Amino acid sequence: MKNIITLTIFVSFVTFSVAQDFKFGKVSKQELQEKAHPIDASADAAVLYKKEHITFNYVQGEGFVQNREIHERIKIYNKEGYDWATEKVYLYQGSSGASKEKIIGIKGYTYNLVNGKVEKTKLKKDGIFDEELNEFMDISTITMPNVQDGCIIEYTYDIKSPFSSIDDIYFQYEIPINQLDIKVATPQYAQYNKLANLRASYQPKLSKRKVERKVVFTDRQRSEFYTTNTKFSQSTETYFDNVIEISETNIPSLKEEAYVGSMENYVSKMSFEMVATLNDFGAIEKSFSSNWEKVSKNIYDSDAFGGQLNRNNFFKDDIASLLQGVEVPFEKAFVLQSFVKSKVKWNGSYGFYSQKGIKDAYKEGSGNIGDINLLLISMLKSQGVNANPVLVSTKNNGIPLYPTRRGFNYVICMVEDQGKYVLIDASERYSLFNVLPRRVLNWQGRLIKEDGSSSWVPLMPSQQAVESNSLNIKIEDDFTVSGKVRQMMTGNLALNLKKKYLGLSQDDKVKSLESDKGAIVISETELEDKENGDFIISYDYELSDAVDEIGGKLYFKPLLFMGEKENPFKLDERAYPIDFLIPFKNKFKVNIMLPSGYEVEAIPQSEAIEYKSGAVKYTFVAKQNGSFIQLSTEFDLKSPIIDSADYKVFKEFYSKIVEKQMEQIVLKKV
Amino acid sequence: MKFTKALSACVFSLLFAVASSQSDSDFKTSGISPELTIKANAVVRYEKQTIEINDFDDMYVTTKRVVTVLNEYGDQHTNAFEGYDNNTKIKKMEAKIYNEFGKEIKKFKIRDFTDQSAVSGGTLYSDNRVKYLSYTPVKYPYTIEYSSEVQMKSTAFVPQWRPIDGYYVSVQYSEYELVNNSGIEIKTKTENFDNYNIEKLSDTHLKAKNLKGIKYEAYNPGISNIVPIFKTALTTFNMEGVKGINNSWEDFGKWMYNDLISGTGQIPQSVIDNVRSLTSGVTDNIEKAKIIYEFMQDKTRYISVQVGIGGWKPMNASEVDKLGYSDCKGLTNYTKALLEAVGVPSYYTVVWGDNDIKDIDSDFSVTEGNHVILCVPTNEENIFLECTSQTAPFGFTAGFTDDRDVLLVTPEGGKIVHTKVYDSEESLQITTAEINLIKDGSFDANVSVKTTGYQYAIHEDIISKSLRDQKLYYKEYWDNVNNLEIMSIDINNNRDEVILTENVKLRATNYTSKSGNRLIIMPNIFNRVRSIPPRYDSRNLDFRIQRGYKDVDEFIINLPEGVKVEAMTEGEKIESKFGVYEYKIEKLSNTKLKYSRSWTMNKGNYEKEDYNAFRDFRKRIVKLDKTKIVLKID
Repeated sequence: MKNIITLTIFVSFVTFSVAQDFKFGKVSKQELQEKAHPIDASADAAVLYKKEHITFNYVQGEGFVQNREIHERIKIYNKEGYDWATEKVYLYQGSSGASKEKIIGIKGYTYNLVNGKVEKTKLKKDGIFDEELNEFMDISTITMPNVQDGCIIEYTYDIKSPFSSIDDIYFQYEIPINQLDIKVATPQYAQYNKLANLRASYQPKLSKRKVERKVVFTDRQRSEFYTTNTKFSQSTETYFDNVIEISETNIPSLKEEAYVGSMENYVSKMSFEMVATLNDFGAIEKSFSSNWEKVSKNIYDSDAFGGQLNRNNFFKDDIASLLQGVEVPFEKAFVLQSFVKSKVKWNGSYGFYSQKGIKDAYKEGSGNIGDINLLLISMLKSQGVNANPVLVSTKNNGIPLYPTRRGFNYVICMVEDQGKYVLIDASERYSLFNVLPRRVLNWQGRLIKEDGSSSWVPLMPSQQAVESNSLNIKIEDDFTVSGKVRQMMTGNLALNLKKKYLGLSQDDKVKSLESDKGAIVISETELEDKENGDFIISYDYELSDAVDEIGGKLYFKPLLFMGEKENPFKLDERAYPIDFLIPFKNKFKVNIMLPSGYEVEAIPQSEAIEYKSGAVKYTFVAKQNGSFIQLSTEFDLKSPIIDSADYKVFKEFYSKIVEKQMEQIVLKKV
Repeated sequence: MKFTKALSACVFSLLFAVASSQSDSDFKTSGISPELTIKANAVVRYEKQTIEINDFDDMYVTTKRVVTVLNEYGDQHTNAFEGYDNNTKIKKMEAKIYNEFGKEIKKFKIRDFTDQSAVSGGTLYSDNRVKYLSYTPVKYPYTIEYSSEVQMKSTAFVPQWRPIDGYYVSVQYSEYELVNNSGIEIKTKTENFDNYNIEKLSDTHLKAKNLKGIKYEAYNPGISNIVPIFKTALTTFNMEGVKGINNSWEDFGKWMYNDLISGTGQIPQSVIDNVRSLTSGVTDNIEKAKIIYEFMQDKTRYISVQVGIGGWKPMNASEVDKLGYSDCKGLTNYTKALLEAVGVPSYYTVVWGDNDIKDIDSDFSVTEGNHVILCVPTNEENIFLECTSQTAPFGFTAGFTDDRDVLLVTPEGGKIVHTKVYDSEESLQITTAEINLIKDGSFDANVSVKTTGYQYAIHEDIISKSLRDQKLYYKEYWDNVNNLEIMSIDINNNRDEVILTENVKLRATNYTSKSGNRLIIMPNIFNRVRSIPPRYDSRNLDFRIQRGYKDVDEFIINLPEGVKVEAMTEGEKIESKFGVYEYKIEKLSNTKLKYSRSWTMNKGNYEKEDYNAFRDFRKRIVKLDKTKIVLKID
């Protein structure tokens, strides 16, 4: 006798009541008559209602299947808002064809008010486009019919996912959301961590509860000896869901601001990660991650991470000769990072896991971030250097909200010796010890050691990067100006300019240096990429439009074509901090030779300006010395983040600097 | 002048048919002659493309291409990709990478190429796909040897020969051969062959050797007008199962009309009744067209959906009516149907839509163009309608489809006509302002900016911005004024006459610079030109100014009490063949100054020898725009 249990399951839902107004398929005339958003008149469109309900339903043979139910109702006020009538849904295709996300039950309507009556237009198949984006991702695009100014569009669909991971839930869009209805119900057998983005200026309130779920199994027993005889029996399993709900109104739109680093750091959203599976009694069956130590260890234990760090046979011979006579660990690190940079090129993909395995990356000469930096760490370890990986969340990934693996998307290398350490990123050609590319400079990274211990490391350079400019000015008899410029950069300022200039042809270097500098001709250009990482640009110039002769007097700005031309901070107020990315200093030394027959009538006054008792300082010193005027200025920024609350004060401080640099020197005839 | 407006471009899905190769030559980088490495990021070492035409619906393209890439900017010239769809089959695709010494370091088979949907940014959906090589170079220079064979049923897009496929790429050897086994007559045309080393082995078999790289220079007349191009077309062709005849534009247009457009114009009777009632009592065709155009703008939106007959057949008008959206072809065809319902004739019109001006080639008919607009003929001139914009004024085309040859598709056949030219008098910007200067160097002002023609197209974007973004826009637009505070904004968009008027009240602190008891003020506050065209030690390419325009400015400056003029100039006029510039400062009274300025730029094609004079003209304007007045505080 065989027992066959078929796959018939009834699940009773405890439905969550939705405000009557947002029942699918019904919109009010009032909603359609609305001409502008009552709170944010600048909005081109507004989400009247957004529902996102995530539940997990048990399916025998498949386990828990995630269901993501979406229902959005969007008011479109004008033509600029028409883009909101197209929705793109990305569906992850997994690594094997079997487990992939599917979209089902797409329904939608567009509502217009025609002669005082609500006219409904149904979304049909021809408005839904499915296509394969690449091997990992499909896209379903839904575009709503009959969209006109003032219309309301509404759609609903479900995404069925075999994956336990829950995508981030966004509470904020670039348009206002009037009513937000979020529910995430996860079965008692899975423990998820969740955290809202605390940097967002808008935070929703959560409520939590437990809801009972029932699964009714129908078992079928069949005996097949002489006659076929089938018996049915039912058994019921009871368990509970952990439910989080958010019901909020009037969520302000997210407005982009300049110098913010990345808006992704400030959008209101919530992340989830499954940290453990639990047994019937609530005890941990298998733990994934729940704190930074565990997350780090989990990552380390993976074959695509820690597993890579002990593979060292394939490069042994190649590096042995490079390291002959090199004893000091930091020197070994320098030699090997140069070697990795020249040997393996970054293919543009992020990720802390090794994509192809460090051996293949080494052989092929290209790889993702994981391939490159884990290769470097493995090489260093093989040479007895104390090197370890540091997990990073890049600027565009936002700051990790919570201990989750997905909070990280990048890895770099740390080398320690005698109480000192350096950070290295071998994916960036011009990076140096502790001078990391911009994408990496996001607060702090997580150092993981072989024994599984882990700790935070600041990614921000502790040393200020410095730009020192020297400018010589000679005014000719025809009031053209000539002279020399020498700019020396250190740290990240050097890195940025190396990326900009090195690799350009001589012609293009000159073109790039001449752009935005007025009627200038530049010659004798020299770029020097020094061994210590500093970068020097020097050139001679001739400038024909710098000096104005008015009423027999000469007027000119002492910094000529250098220095600030305008205050980049133009908004009246900001919701998010200014992020300069790195602490830095910017200095000028200017030496002006007076033309014969002229003397000084006025020079700008020396002055020191401070923001917040010296957190940022600007000094400007000008003095006459015989037939020379000498000037030195310094902008000194110790911490790169300026709070949004201090924005107005900072903007004013900055505009004083710009004004100071615009002040004129006046010369008169002797 | 900035061009910020993004008219919704509607780009046909042109079939890719590009190249690659395998050469019997040496793959060593040292084999390149030094003159080919100057002004080059990549060198085409060997290229041979063979196109076999077996029938009007059977074409086989074999490509071999060996490229040495000298630096990262040269990666784009490997051209190791093929587009495909239901009518295009990639039979073979292969690539090998060699290091600078000619040693093979990597090999790619067809399955190693990345396969992806060819959907571009603005496109909602397309059934085109592309296979491309994704290779991260380990070291430069490297050499790639690429070969492919592609079988196509569509013969509407026979690959052209363009041995120099961009700036900074030089060519050691390139060969193109079209083998015609079909008996169908083939048309050919050569462009820009002068001064290039090209050998013609037969009418459809060409060879080029040692073509030097071309450096990009600002204001150049467009790469297609510089590099050699060999065009071919079949007089009987197939576009995804639809047979076409193409001896001339007339034929081609007739084919488009009969096989792609006719029969797609039905609209429901209710809509016909509706538009007839909207235009009842109106007799003038232009008036009627205007009503219909606005009706269409209110009812529809633009979405790029590249499906159906190579992306060339418009969606049925009834479908557009039902959905309320379509691409350029569908919206144009729909508008045409609406006009027909009210008795106004109009023509479907194929064009190259771009801010850069590009003509449909009047002497060589071939499948070309990337956009469709609608032509409404009148007794005086043709009116062109941009049907993908919900906001464009009736008949307004400046900045995207103006001043170029286009193909009208009429029932009698295709016709080439020229679209409207917006001359400098029509593309006008008038800025007036009254400025009250305050002793501490700040001022408040009422400014008005009025634009028409091409300048309307540049400014029109402001209308749709939110107040916050409008304020930011003005702070950027007048970025020569620091500490600007925008008090109020009032914008009037007169769509009937196509005049945009922006009235802005604003305030600025510390505008003047101070020096002792003097205030130095630049009176050109609201229309200062700051950028000078780039300098070239020796210019190689001729240049063009695509559109003329004119700016007129008048600023009244009221001085505060106790402040008087110490020194100022009276004005200056400069004239050149590129345009005329003049400014004047007048003292209307002891406390009132008037600054006036006018600047006309002329459209034109100029020789490279004139570039320095052009640059000097612009340089002088920048200098004169910085003119200062010295004021003295008593």
